[in-house]
Amino acid sequence: MTPQVAVVVFPGTNSEDETLRALHAVGLEAELVHWSAPESLARFDAYVLPGGFAYEDRIRAGAVAAYDAVMDPVIEGAQAGKLVLGICNGAQILAEAGLVPGTAGVRRPTAAFAPNASGRFQSVHVHVKLVVAPERVPILAGIEPGAVIPGWASHGDGRLAAPANELERIVSDGHLAFVYADRDGNQVPAPNGAALDCAGLVNRAGNVLAIMPHPERDAWTYQHIDGSRDAARGDTAATLAPSGGIRFFEHFARAVRGQVMA
Amino acid sequence: MTRTFAVSLIIPDNEAFTAYETLARLGVPAARVVRSDIWLFEVAPEAAETLASSVAQIETLYNPNKHRLVERTSDAPEPGEVWVASRDEARATRIAGRALPGVTGIRRRTSWRLLDEAGQDIGQSDRDRAVATFLCNPAFQVAIT
Repeated sequence: MTPQVAVVVFPGTNSEDETLRALHAVGLEAELVHWSAPESLARFDAYVLPGGFAYEDRIRAGAVAAYDAVMDPVIEGAQAGKLVLGICNGAQILAEAGLVPGTAGVRRPTAAFAPNASGRFQSVHVHVKLVVAPERVPILAGIEPGAVIPGWASHGDGRLAAPANELERIVSDGHLAFVYADRDGNQVPAPNGAALDCAGLVNRAGNVLAIMPHPERDAWTYQHIDGSRDAARGDTAATLAPSGGIRFFEHFARAVRGQVMA
Repeated sequence: MTRTFAVSLIIPDNEAFTAYETLARLGVPAARVVRSDIWLFEVAPEAAETLASSVAQIETLYNPNKHRLVERTSDAPEPGEVWVASRDEARATRIAGRALPGVTGIRRRTSWRLLDEAGQDIGQSDRDRAVATFLCNPAFQVAIT
């Protein structure tokens, strides 16, 4: 049985195509499902909420989408153990939907990806480092301890914000999945001012992951910011070769396949 | 001293309509949702007289072709109104990149008003539910009534 992945598109989503391309590149069968077709979502084995500006970020980033009817089957799937990955705006939606960190229940958010400390939209190349044990993130099956993933932090609302006691719980209960880091894995201050330098949150079961930077925008060498891009200049095959971000999706694909096989 | 201004749209407010649709999905019995941006300025007394005209000249805040600008007499919400603010808001001293004469601090809130068919505020319990479930994320925002 071939696992099926839905990339959920809201009005205002803008990263669906590159997300779909990354999923296809790691061998997953994936397709776009628009917000107007919530009834078609139940048959999928996993869901990806891509980046963008769902509903123009009206009210708050991710808030309207979290209550959209298309999220009902996603939430039901998450509660049933299906894998749900949110990237950037998708991460904001998962936080507003209460799926991450998930400490108070569905649609009862206890944390948020709030406006950046700078008050401005920022787009910078970053690396994120896994800071929980790999067993805490079965959604990224086979990921190595301390894995460093490149991507682009490209958002106006990426600053993790939560009351102090909730931040303590996020750490103590292993919800802090990724922090910002340099390419060698040394933790660095979050470019958006996020508490805990958080770049990604995972729920208790480890089947729902919200990550702010875009690994799908560093999936091929021509998108990568280091010497490899310059070294590949003039070499088409090298330029189009997978870069570090695609590893993120390889782990996700392994998890999807493993879940369907189980 | 504090001077308070409300800026609302005179053209259709898509954000308010989106809020209305989501609240309807949540069963909140509002027939209309009214939204305003609230700006609170800490201003030196000698500059207070000219503040309104200074604010009216910032086109990113107030465009007379699409906005209504009203100076409030209080720095607190009116009855039936809810203001939503960030818990950790840093007090700004510039607006749209501009400093205003005599202004030492600027704070921003979003005002929500939920009205029934008769144009009256909906009941407090329904309003509180709308705030608690949707209009305010308590993780980083606070609702002021």
